[in-house]
Amino acid sequence: MTPNETRGSLARTLLILGRLVLAGIFLFAAYAKLKPQAAVPWSGASIKTSLSLFAMQVDSYQLLPPQLVSPVAHLLPPFELFLGLWLLSGVFLPYSALVTTLLIAAFFATQVRTYRAGLEINCGCFGPGERLGPKTLLHDGAFLALALAVTVGAFVQGRKRRDESVPVAGVSTPQRAD
Amino acid sequence: MCLGGESYVLAVAANQPSPTRILNLAFSPTAQRRTTRRFVANISRYNVYSPQFDAQEDELISRMDRRFVRRMVSRAQWAAAILTVFAMLAPAIAAQTATPTSAKAAAPARKRAADTAAPGAPVKTIGNRNAPITMEVFSDYQCPSCGNFFENTLRAMIQDYVAQGKVYLVHHDFPLQMHTYSGQAARWANAAGMIGQFQDVDAALFDNQAKWPVDGDIEKYVAAAISPANFKRVQGILKGCTAAPPTSKADRSVPQADPGCPVDPYIVQDIVLGYQVPVQATPTFIIHYKGQSYPASSGIITWPILKQFFDTLLSQ
Repeated sequence: MTPNETRGSLARTLLILGRLVLAGIFLFAAYAKLKPQAAVPWSGASIKTSLSLFAMQVDSYQLLPPQLVSPVAHLLPPFELFLGLWLLSGVFLPYSALVTTLLIAAFFATQVRTYRAGLEINCGCFGPGERLGPKTLLHDGAFLALALAVTVGAFVQGRKRRDESVPVAGVSTPQRAD
Repeated sequence: MCLGGESYVLAVAANQPSPTRILNLAFSPTAQRRTTRRFVANISRYNVYSPQFDAQEDELISRMDRRFVRRMVSRAQWAAAILTVFAMLAPAIAAQTATPTSAKAAAPARKRAADTAAPGAPVKTIGNRNAPITMEVFSDYQCPSCGNFFENTLRAMIQDYVAQGKVYLVHHDFPLQMHTYSGQAARWANAAGMIGQFQDVDAALFDNQAKWPVDGDIEKYVAAAISPANFKRVQGILKGCTAAPPTSKADRSVPQADPGCPVDPYIVQDIVLGYQVPVQATPTFIIHYKGQSYPASSGIITWPILKQFFDTLLSQ
């Protein structure tokens, strides 16, 4: 195996690993927001209650008007679930990674703004209970870096694959000698 | 109180029933005829019936009818009197079981009861303790977020869901060390709570949050919120409070209570409870419903969103 091939194999492995980590983060985030927040079994009512509780966390950021808080809070966890599954499948990876990066960047920007404003609230990243602070900013920053790396890696790898499959101009294919 | 009974009493009171009307309702002509027939059957059973008794029987029946009607009228008058008294008392009973904040009429009674009672543990709750939802709020009177939360969320909640008996609001003091006068403000609120004046003083402290922290003159705003007699009683309770008030510590150590201050142990109790939650910032609140506690939330939540959460719980 040539050094180039070794590098390519390592990049592919890292890309798969990064994608799986991101998928895990999003699946866990969705699970933490949808799971029953009190000692009650899973049900439609428990999910509704969890989403209403999450709406309070979204509201505490004081970013959205009340009429937008509820739709965002009800759409975000299912979207995180969808994104987690999309990343896990690996289908159209550059695009799933790009969407993930944009979403994490939006989360990160909101958190920085809230922290700078001095609001002492729960992060709501992985369900209730986690206070927004330097630790939260650190892990969300790390997630953003990872998502960015996966996105760049996915685009680069996608381009390489395209380059390999398209015949290079000026190079003739060998002719059969009859 | 049973809703069916209450609505029946109110309906009767509204229609001003006459004794005859009640009699007609309760004892219809059919019922009266049935009673008479039963009487005649009894005469037959004891072999005292014969055709010659026809006239006597008719007379007897009509006499029985008259006596029956007289007796029923008398009973109906009693029933109407009892119902009228009950209907008059119903609002007062309803006010006792409903929130004291909602019933303006019940407020004087509450105040009178508080005036005569000896100061005990401060009552820092608003609403009906049997409400399906209980909301515990850990708050600091000098914290701007707490003021904002009270003015924009809790006030609306008190007027709406607490007044309707859906939510029972429990206040816990969590004065932060960083705020110079929040401990002292908590002392005033607790002393007011000891004589049943918590709600007025609580509102006054938050309403004037921008004013009293300037020079620490909390007394002025408490005096304006309650009657002079009650203010004297509150002052009397706080007479022995000379040492610095207890506040929560960053290292989560239990603050010292002034031995001469009767309200300090209750503030310390709230702070220790806050450590257990754990309260990391104020305001922090916990919601309980059907024996389940939901995770503590902190920060300012707007009333429409909080209401939505309550509605979700109540719809289960």
